[in-house]
Amino acid sequence: MNYVECFRAIARHRTDEIVITSAGNSGQAWWAATRDSVASFYLDASMSLSTMFASGLALAQPNLIVWAFMGDGAFAMNPGMLMVERQMNLPNLTHFLVSNRAYGATSNAGLPNSDHNDYAAIARAFGLERVYEFKSTAAIEHELPKLKAANAPGHTFVVLEAEPFSDAEQKLEQPPFDGPELKFRFGRHIESVTGADIFGYRI
Amino acid sequence: MDVIKTIEGDTRFHHVPVNREESAIGLCSGAYMGAMGSAALMGASGFMTVIYALTKINYTYEIPLFLMATLRGAVGDHHKHHISNGLYLKPVLDAISMPYQIIERPDDVGLISRCYHHTRTFSRPMVVLFTRDLLRGGGGGH
Repeated sequence: MNYVECFRAIARHRTDEIVITSAGNSGQAWWAATRDSVASFYLDASMSLSTMFASGLALAQPNLIVWAFMGDGAFAMNPGMLMVERQMNLPNLTHFLVSNRAYGATSNAGLPNSDHNDYAAIARAFGLERVYEFKSTAAIEHELPKLKAANAPGHTFVVLEAEPFSDAEQKLEQPPFDGPELKFRFGRHIESVTGADIFGYRI
Repeated sequence: MDVIKTIEGDTRFHHVPVNREESAIGLCSGAYMGAMGSAALMGASGFMTVIYALTKINYTYEIPLFLMATLRGAVGDHHKHHISNGLYLKPVLDAISMPYQIIERPDDVGLISRCYHHTRTFSRPMVVLFTRDLLRGGGGGH
């Protein structure tokens, strides 16, 4: 399925979920789909850490529902993240893995062993139980509401089979924020919905 | 002193073992955005692998992060595989303008909380470095 259309389909089912994106394409696609600069944190070029960042947030704020996106290029750098996620098993975290079989942020450089990588099988081998695969926007439209409504224990892992960005999509706008601005936009939103004090200085 | 087991056994802390040091950088940074205090604990070699993550996440977004690491390769450390850490750990910290505090005596332990609070003022990372002699409880060997 088309990468951006995939994100638009997911965004249609978003209510109050907090979103963390990964490098390059997932940030561009989520920005194109939502233009959200408050409840989304664009963790640009973290080289595989978007779901770890999301896990820290989900652990700290168990009443927030956190969605984290990353590409399979980022996943390939640190697949052991699934060991940590499985161990933490946070019911308020969903890890969306965009399987586009390319390093999209580096002009679709090839991913090793790309024809054979089975991310759902890898996740199950790490002991994950709530593993899903969506290969079309129709499947997202049909299945994502049920997945959201399940209220099941344990964290959720979703593989999204998507095409790499086209040359035109590679030119999609990056979220136009400097880091500290994004930190404060996002953090103030977390403070407002949770009552937590992130930025208050305490001795 | 076994720092990891001590932390694991202390109910004031929620200990999350991770697969590699960069994961701890991501976790602690996300925890900060959820208003949870945290510390990333690692060895000197592990610290040397997280420079990109620190500069990309904690410097770019100005997210505070408190780290505790071992200071290896110093005088008295007879492990040759830590020579590189002895040579380059502190120069690397200086190169990224990252403050550090060496903890080498039990009397220095009170500095740890000051360093933690400094990360909140500084809105960037800081590391405290434990000497091998301190962690082993001795006054220095051969």
